[in-house]
Amino acid sequence: MKPAPFEYVRARTLDEALAALDADSKILAGGQSLVPMLNMRLVRPARLVDINAVPGLEGVRARPDGGLDVGALTRHSDLLTAPLVKERAPLLAAAAAHVGHRAIRNRGTVGGSLAHADPAAELPAALLALDATAVIAAPGGRRRVPLVGFFVGLLTTALAPDEILVGVEIPDARRAAWGFREIARRAGDFAIAGVAAVVRGDDGRCTDARLVAIGAGDRPLRLGAAEAALVGAELSSALPARAAATTGEDCRPPDDVHASAEYRTHLVSVLTEQVVREALGRLAP
Amino acid sequence: MTWVGAPVPRKEDVRLTTGRGLYLDDVARPGALHAAMLRSPHAHARIVALETAEAARLPGVHAVLTGADAVAASRPIRPLIPTPVPLPDWCLAVDRVRFAGEPVAAVAAVDRATAEDALERIRVEYEPLPAVVDPEAALAPGSPLLYPELGTNVLWHDILAYGDVAGAFARADGVLRERFEIQRYASTPLETFGAIAEYDTGLDAYTFWTNDQRPGLTLAILAESLAVPQSQLRLITPDIGGAFGNKRRPAYLLVCALLARRSGCPVKYLEDRLENLGALMHACNGVMDVELAYRTDGTVLALRVRDVADEGKNLVSPMQHNLIKLGNIVNGYRIGAVSYEAYSVLTTKCPSGANRGIGKPFMCFAVERAMALLARRLQLDPAELRLRNYVRADEMPYTTPPGAQYDSGDYPATLRRALERFDYRGARETQARARAEGRLLGIGIATSVEPAGTNLASYELITGRRAASGSAEAAMVRVEPDGGVRAALGDPASGQGYETVVAQIVADELGLTPADVHVERGFDSSTTPWLYLSGNYSNKFSVTDVGAVLGAARAVRDKLLRIAAHRLEVAVEDLELADAEARVRGAPGRGLPIRELARTAYADVLGLPPGEPPGLEARHAHQNPLAKPVGAGRTVRSQLVFSNAAHCCLVEVDRRTGQVRLLKHVVVHDCGRELNPLIVEGMVHGSTVHGIGAALLEEFRYDATGQLLTATFMDYLKPTALDVPDIEVDRLEHPSPFTPLGAKGVGEGGSIPAPAAVANAVEDALAAHGVTVRSLPITPERVWRWLGAPKEAR
Amino acid sequence: MNDVLVRLTVNGRAVERTVPARRSLADLLREDLRLTGTHVGCEHGVCGACTVLVDGRTARSCLLFAGQLDGAQITTVEGLTPADGPSALQAAFRECHALQCGFCTAGLLATAHELLAETAAPTREEIREAIAGNLCMCTGYVNIVRAIELAAGRMRRP
Repeated sequence: MKPAPFEYVRARTLDEALAALDADSKILAGGQSLVPMLNMRLVRPARLVDINAVPGLEGVRARPDGGLDVGALTRHSDLLTAPLVKERAPLLAAAAAHVGHRAIRNRGTVGGSLAHADPAAELPAALLALDATAVIAAPGGRRRVPLVGFFVGLLTTALAPDEILVGVEIPDARRAAWGFREIARRAGDFAIAGVAAVVRGDDGRCTDARLVAIGAGDRPLRLGAAEAALVGAELSSALPARAAATTGEDCRPPDDVHASAEYRTHLVSVLTEQVVREALGRLAP
Repeated sequence: MTWVGAPVPRKEDVRLTTGRGLYLDDVARPGALHAAMLRSPHAHARIVALETAEAARLPGVHAVLTGADAVAASRPIRPLIPTPVPLPDWCLAVDRVRFAGEPVAAVAAVDRATAEDALERIRVEYEPLPAVVDPEAALAPGSPLLYPELGTNVLWHDILAYGDVAGAFARADGVLRERFEIQRYASTPLETFGAIAEYDTGLDAYTFWTNDQRPGLTLAILAESLAVPQSQLRLITPDIGGAFGNKRRPAYLLVCALLARRSGCPVKYLEDRLENLGALMHACNGVMDVELAYRTDGTVLALRVRDVADEGKNLVSPMQHNLIKLGNIVNGYRIGAVSYEAYSVLTTKCPSGANRGIGKPFMCFAVERAMALLARRLQLDPAELRLRNYVRADEMPYTTPPGAQYDSGDYPATLRRALERFDYRGARETQARARAEGRLLGIGIATSVEPAGTNLASYELITGRRAASGSAEAAMVRVEPDGGVRAALGDPASGQGYETVVAQIVADELGLTPADVHVERGFDSSTTPWLYLSGNYSNKFSVTDVGAVLGAARAVRDKLLRIAAHRLEVAVEDLELADAEARVRGAPGRGLPIRELARTAYADVLGLPPGEPPGLEARHAHQNPLAKPVGAGRTVRSQLVFSNAAHCCLVEVDRRTGQVRLLKHVVVHDCGRELNPLIVEGMVHGSTVHGIGAALLEEFRYDATGQLLTATFMDYLKPTALDVPDIEVDRLEHPSPFTPLGAKGVGEGGSIPAPAAVANAVEDALAAHGVTVRSLPITPERVWRWLGAPKEAR
Repeated sequence: MNDVLVRLTVNGRAVERTVPARRSLADLLREDLRLTGTHVGCEHGVCGACTVLVDGRTARSCLLFAGQLDGAQITTVEGLTPADGPSALQAAFRECHALQCGFCTAGLLATAHELLAETAAPTREEIREAIAGNLCMCTGYVNIVRAIELAAGRMRRP
């Protein structure tokens, strides 16, 4: 299983990388999703632009507003160990722990996961739940796209062929509570279904809720009805079930060899109940 | 010191743990080209046109081969079990493809990547034909036919009946009827299958490097298909990265051979993983209708089975699954009458083959599931029901209605020990407490016999004539001129530790340590003694190969003693071999080192006893004396020696998601004398995990058009370390009275009863919900649906 | 389609090669450098047979192109084998019968090496989790877990 021939370009700067991109190129970052597809000849770019040597694209930095900047080349395994992540966005670490296995996490990148936009992937959902914004380098300069508008279809994002995702900006989530659960056939597999949640509360009420389902559609899916059931509601032990009861309205999961749409819809409901309960449990009283 | 029976750490591990093994892809032959195969995208189609000129022109391509080329340059591949009508089977598809993934053309190029580039330049025009993917549909009238000249997709249909089946059913208090299904799955060794072929034009001779596990059979096929005498073939196996019955596809060796001839270079081909999963071998899927005639006290009087085995496009070795199931059909039970209706059916899918267990996992699933259902129906404890039906130790050797002879074993004791180790009573209490809390815990029991050694005479039941028969193997032991010892075996190891166990056996015979005995890695037809029957199949090492090794070792031992007796002027009976010398019993200091005896045998030959030829080498072929021709009433010992095991497992089922967690798995097994307990226990672990994989995870799924949906390791799910618990193992040891060292087979082990044990446990967990587990794998979604697809989140 | 000049360090030795862009690290190791201890089992990153250490961290060598590793330090099973005899892990694998066909062993040793470098006393659960990305078709994992546990204990008490 050897790839079709391609030209390899190792970019030393972001500008070099941008200049090398065209409609028939692919970016090589972690490669953990791309290279299997190359090996199976499911994709056949004429050029591979390796951005691993571009400086300034990795690392987790604190934002003055209390949030986090995560560089696109940050490896999944670094998300698991970075103290800043633990401190300001533990949801990211929880999600990253489910990505493949250690060797995959050592190479796979945050940017790669977002750009690949697999609806069964963990990080896109977690970052969407954190209301993150994608920072994109384009030939004309930088632009920012909130993740809410970044995933536009199955394995399709708002990135143009000549653009490179350089990082994500995560707003302050220090006073938010989070939850993450997924079900996969085996540990490390892509999720059959999963839910990432970020909720906020004040004075005994839920003031904000972002629930994102994995495996429930052609992209990470906001569970709008469940969020509506939570926002403004009094915090109580009945809330998780109430939220879970609405998830069927938003789910549009696929039927495939691993699970039917009906079963996935049910799992999203089960996981929503668990995740909301977990998140509400983490809210400061 | 007796080495046989000791947990000797393996000799091969010294190289295998340090990256110094030599597997097929590690073999670099000078100037070798690399082959790739173009495979049919259609499950069933006529090949209308095939154009390879552009591929041949690609720089780096040295040769291209098509089915038409194969017809011109070779002869059809002979099947292991002949089909009713000769059906020409070539190494590449000719005129027609019959499964998605069937090779249509092959290219040899400077490297694999270039060869794959060339495949993309081959133009094939197909006229699709209707696929047939369901075996019941394939045997029905009007089905699309893989071979119109056969007139049917049924390669074998027969009813074999033993004892008074009708009478037993008439006498019975009740009949339990159930239909069971099993999926396609395979052991998928981590190393894929392949070969390197070289052709010597001066000698008109071929050399093959391959990880083929049945060299005796493959050499016969190669000789016929290439139209050369076997003396002009050489087949070498290096280290093999797992086989489990999967590593056989003579067609690929032929493709390499023909490409080698065309290109004038050695040609290497290794399957990639997609080719391996889609086109090498699947265990038959199928359907079994089981009827148990029973008395209210739980005694099973008779068994009637209708078994449909889906062989895919298998012309080389179909019908094996049926035959092997028949030979083991009563499992460990005293069932006096048996009727077995077999269908071996072709479909447009990957060929079937002798995957670990060869049909017995399904047979055991059906029988053990039926026993579990009977226990429920009669409100008997499932262990108690089995105990009432087992063949007892005092009945051994016991001959089953189809003719299998169970040689030894105490099946009730095996089960009792398993229940004890598992703490069955305690587990039932834990289960009751869990139930009160709303948790679904289940306990599953399954027991099985595990045969070893296949008697090829059994094929006569299918073909009506005897071509090959018996179970045999050959070995060589040689003391070298410097006194070192070398041994070789016609059965190539693929992880079973033969290098170590053979060394243990030879060491015991010659008074050495295993470190003193060099056992040849693998097989080399030029130097390893071998027979048509040589190879790794049917668990035969402990029950047949051992005889060959012992025979050779003892011949060398006897010669050493004769030479020593002559030189020391004592009687042979007064001598023993120990500590690398021949010495007079009870007279320390009166002895001769083996090194010295070798000097006499090879150099100072005038010192040999009169009439004794020089040299210290013996080749011995051993046939297992238990094998017999087909007997009256179509009975036959298709397999020869029987181990047995009991599995108990504990599972928890999540009622909301259907997920099954394996909490505990206990195996008590009895393989007679354990030649190396370390290796034996490893076999039990590994084979049990194969069974667990089949029970919960693995499935080759096809759509209605014959496309394989689970085509990569992302979709075909193998168990990982997080999917299986620690397997707890205990043993009984009832040696076989009929094998040279009392050892029995252990290679298939847990792959046979583990699927049934897990299925029984899941059904037990769901007992209050009226669920019957009839098929595998038990996926979370299937469990959820069995529970009625409950929509509650909690 | 181009050739790429790559300079890297393999098992402590400087290596310089010009390779086709699509040559994987696994193929560079096995074909160009004849370090055949690393094996290829799937070429899509699932089985773990090809796992090596890249700059000290495990990686699937089937999912890396040789050409992208300019400046990298690669350690294979050959590099994990001391000159004077087996490592603690290798000895423990043999003692515990943690291999049968041996095809998965090199990848497992790399994985175990990384685990024990970070966690001196892993629990059985931690070991199972660490090796869950390495498929073994032969052993059923039981003895592999035992071997890693045994090696960890010995490495803590030199």
